[in-house]
Amino acid sequence: MGFLRNVRRPPDTPNRAETAAAPGRERIRRLHRLAYRGLWGMAAFLALSLVAFNHGWLLPPISDGARAVLGKAPPTNLISIALVVYSFSALVLILSRMSTGQGKYKGWSHLAYLGAFYVFYHYGNALDANFWAVFAAGLTIMALEHYQMWTFCTEAIRKEEERLAQAERLEKFKS
Amino acid sequence: MLKNLAAKAIVPVGLTVTGFVIVCSILLYSYVKQDLVADSIQREVLLGDIIVKATRFSMLTDQRESLRQTINDIGEQKGVEHVRIFNKKGVIMFSSNDEEVNQLVDMSAPGCIECHSGPVTAVHLGPMDQARNFVNAQGEPVLAITTPIYNEPNCSNGGCHFHAPDEKILGTLDIGMSQAPLLKSLATLRVRLVIFCLMVLVLTVGGVIALLQRNVLLPVRQLVYFADQVSRGNLEINEPEGTEELVSLAGNFKRLARRNLEADDSLRDLQDKLDTLTRQIREREIGHKSGN
Repeated sequence: MGFLRNVRRPPDTPNRAETAAAPGRERIRRLHRLAYRGLWGMAAFLALSLVAFNHGWLLPPISDGARAVLGKAPPTNLISIALVVYSFSALVLILSRMSTGQGKYKGWSHLAYLGAFYVFYHYGNALDANFWAVFAAGLTIMALEHYQMWTFCTEAIRKEEERLAQAERLEKFKS
Repeated sequence: MLKNLAAKAIVPVGLTVTGFVIVCSILLYSYVKQDLVADSIQREVLLGDIIVKATRFSMLTDQRESLRQTINDIGEQKGVEHVRIFNKKGVIMFSSNDEEVNQLVDMSAPGCIECHSGPVTAVHLGPMDQARNFVNAQGEPVLAITTPIYNEPNCSNGGCHFHAPDEKILGTLDIGMSQAPLLKSLATLRVRLVIFCLMVLVLTVGGVIALLQRNVLLPVRQLVYFADQVSRGNLEINEPEGTEELVSLAGNFKRLARRNLEADDSLRDLQDKLDTLTRQIREREIGHKSGN
């Protein structure tokens, strides 16, 4: 029986059911990652807001030379009107995506728009007075984006798990 | 979490409406604050002009005691933090606070720097540039205005005291008003806006819950009860009343259940016939065997 010491067991080969279920499991993992993308977006927005809140000592003051190059700042009232119009359209678009069941995440572009609002207010020396308006708009938009993505992914994961369970039942029945 | 119909409907609606109302309220507050501050600056500029006009004759006729008394009387008014007149060198000539008289004002201090920042002193400023905000020693917020006292032909031609005709500004009136009433109004506005936001939130969530309860949740509950009864074979139960879709669904469900029941009955009849035939064949077979 000494020859058995040198004999090794062959590696475990996955059975047919496991091989068939692998893409489904991969899709579920991907959906789990997608579901938490909104939280990353919200965290990024909070970090951006933290910088904007402490803009007095975190951001360098805009020099007169830069102002001369960039030109006059737009009126604060105009930026505020743009913020209201942007918030309204962003919310309507997210709700329409939610109603049609689309699984697209647009949080990163919203992050860029909100950052632009902070920059415009900072340039117009009106960020202190209008910080909370941009923050509330951003928090609402990013939270709704996260909720939309989370509900979409939860639903897709449930369907994917049902499909896997059905495939497993079928495989057991065949075997 | 968030698995039932009500939660799924309320979260996006509540979040959207409340968020948007909060954004609009903050911007509205910002607009109102901006307007109220601009309005108080305008009123203070007007008040400065009125004081300059009211003291013009005293200045022209060099009635210093009368001018001092007028400044003191204005300074005693409620809400007036300080009134002072200083000459073009920055020395305070008259003040509601006697300790300040003959003191030199720092030209780089807020309120002075606006005109004295460049190599040439500015002669005219807009009303918003004349204003400055600061907190006094008592911790009270103050809005102050500096109004230039311009040279007039009567000033340079006066016999009592002489100013050269090329001097554009003879001195400056500085008046500071307490901002406490304005801040109190803004605080009241803030509280009202918060209450308004809460009311919108309650109304939105309440409205959605009420509509869902009446149009969706109650009919669905009735439909579940109806389906339960029909599946137990009770076809006498009436379809639940509610939205058109739910009534149609209940009707279809009842028809399906009736057909199922009829199919069961006919299957049972067939089974009975089959049993009878089987019995008859067996009886015949037994009769045939006994006959043999």
